[in-house]
Amino acid sequence: MAAYIIWILCLPALLSAGLMVWLSRRSARPDNRHYSLLNIIQAAVYTGLGLWLANLEKPLVLSGNGYFYADTLAVYEILITSGVFLLSAIYARGYVASLINQEEIDASLLPVFYGSLCLLELVLILGFLSNNLALLWIFIELSTLLSAVLIVTLKARENITAALKYVFVASTAMLFSFMGIIILFGLSQDTITGGSLNWTGLMAAAAGFNQRAFNIAFILMLIGFGAKSGMAPFHTWLPQAYTRAPSVVSVAYGAVLNLGLYAVLRLLALSQQTADTSLANTSLMATGMLTLGIAAFSLLARTNTKKVIAFSAVEQTGLALAGMSLASPLALFWVVFNQLAQPFTKALLFFSAGIWHRQYLSNKFTAVFKPLILQPLASTGLIIGVAAATGVPLLPVFLVKFNILASLAQQPLLLVLALFFFMVAAGGMGYYLLRAFSQAENPPTPAFKTPLSMKVPVMICLVLLAILGIYLPPWLSEVIRTITIELGMAA
Amino acid sequence: MNEVVLITEIIRILLVLILGTAVLVITQRSLNSLFSIYSIQSLLLAVLALVLFWQEGITSLLLISIITLVSKVIIIPAFLRSVLRRISIKRDLEFHFLTPISSIIISVLLLFGVYRVFFELRNELHFGPLFLLGAVIGVSLALMGMMVIFSRRKVITKTVGYLTMENGVLLFGLFVADLPFIIEVLVLVDLLMILVLASLLAFGIDSSIEAFHERLRNFGLDVEE
Repeated sequence: MAAYIIWILCLPALLSAGLMVWLSRRSARPDNRHYSLLNIIQAAVYTGLGLWLANLEKPLVLSGNGYFYADTLAVYEILITSGVFLLSAIYARGYVASLINQEEIDASLLPVFYGSLCLLELVLILGFLSNNLALLWIFIELSTLLSAVLIVTLKARENITAALKYVFVASTAMLFSFMGIIILFGLSQDTITGGSLNWTGLMAAAAGFNQRAFNIAFILMLIGFGAKSGMAPFHTWLPQAYTRAPSVVSVAYGAVLNLGLYAVLRLLALSQQTADTSLANTSLMATGMLTLGIAAFSLLARTNTKKVIAFSAVEQTGLALAGMSLASPLALFWVVFNQLAQPFTKALLFFSAGIWHRQYLSNKFTAVFKPLILQPLASTGLIIGVAAATGVPLLPVFLVKFNILASLAQQPLLLVLALFFFMVAAGGMGYYLLRAFSQAENPPTPAFKTPLSMKVPVMICLVLLAILGIYLPPWLSEVIRTITIELGMAA
Repeated sequence: MNEVVLITEIIRILLVLILGTAVLVITQRSLNSLFSIYSIQSLLLAVLALVLFWQEGITSLLLISIITLVSKVIIIPAFLRSVLRRISIKRDLEFHFLTPISSIIISVLLLFGVYRVFFELRNELHFGPLFLLGAVIGVSLALMGMMVIFSRRKVITKTVGYLTMENGVLLFGLFVADLPFIIEVLVLVDLLMILVLASLLAFGIDSSIEAFHERLRNFGLDVEE
């Protein structure tokens, strides 16, 4: 059975992409409803498959050569990804229809748009199931390819520039990872007959690695995987890509960032098996703090709603890296929890920002007026989303920030620095909202009639964040504890 | 004995020639010449992999040689030339951050820096003198490719920079480990990605947005109207 799981997982995306190609050949004028329905069905099937995987006994070796492997972390990430994609698929139904009405996207590009979205979900899922680091690298590269295609489907020249920047920054950094992978393979030949790039094999053999050579491999791989997760100074692609992409794609990028952080998590686990972990931990802390600092100060002078959310995503990466650097079971527990909390926080923000954009036809705060009257749900979503992203109590990111700061208590200087960056970031985001909600009244404009399909994902995100902020279900806590054990970090 | 010496000398000469092509990539302004240089660089890499196969008899080296020959010596340069025919640019004259001379000076410094690091690691990674040279030139080539990405303005030149960087990584791989099959797949995915995307985007950046979307709809495979 396990040998067929990969094929079963490939089927929905390939089938829906194939059907989309068929539909595009049948009709000269593609109908958004057909494509979006296919997209929703596919995302729902993946959510179902994710739940099915969660109920199977783990870990599962999914291929004879051990290239694919499902442990609790992989399935946890797949469930988050499929959840995010399901919400964005529902949202896309109304959102893309509105983009077509405003002539911001050409209807003839719908097959490319939805097809890429379907394949992106598949690539991310296969990435999470990759036990082989070279295979993981391949899926991360493919995710860049599909993400860039999704950016250029919108009618704006700036989108091409944003996509180019994304490809060149992410792929250049990924070539460093490629070098790191080659060194790691060379190292593995000393301890594993014939060498291996399978994470499970490397975990067992890591204690015998030469430390200096491993450190170089670690740094090189961190550059590539970190760049993909928005780590400074390789984060420069992220704000532009997030801002230029349609909101529904920006939401999906939350899962793409998770794949980058997932790779760093695997790398961290590997480094903890070696004799000396100091360089790995220090480099994670340094990049984490740098990322937090850059994100915090970049948030101060923003005028574009989606750019605020993008820098908040960079801040999230900084937080995750700083948490990982502590390499303690407690910090890791909250880093893994953050992998769940952040994509849904960002989803809420991007869904709401998307509705604002439909209302004001601009992402600039200067265009916003009477937001609570014209778009009450989206405005509430943005307020709650910003509160969640900054770490306001009773919302899930608060738990992450509080516990990571508590773990930093033994290093007072870093604690103060992190606290300062969090406060600057919160100030920047708060100030942005304040300006957006206090604009002088513009000439009366009719309210954009938000379709139900765009409202439902916002409501679901609001409910989910409200629950996660005050109640951590015992089963979820158990799942995350199992993940920390699988990563070799449990006390 | 004589054969071993001959192979070693051939490898050394090939490595030096590859380094020479990297210098030309940094300084060349004519796009057509740039593609030719990239093609020659890839050919040298394919020959190098073949020589290593002759020396060590590892099949994956033969496969890498064939893949490199077909994709990087024939297909990619031809594809890039077809892109060039569609766009009006023939030369990339603009440099930012670095001029060609300063790029070459930095390249020399990088070469020494990389040599210093790998010299320290030669025992850990089981490098002989020849393999040390190969790994050092591979990483230096990758870094020189990266300089091209950052110092040139035109997308198409940046693409050649990326491809040079990728050649450097492959060269490094040839000398560090007996690459498993998966690494070859990885190289192919990498090439596919940069080929499809950079060409697609190169069409876009140098044409109207409507014409770009027309090409995107046809996956960039149509001919210029």
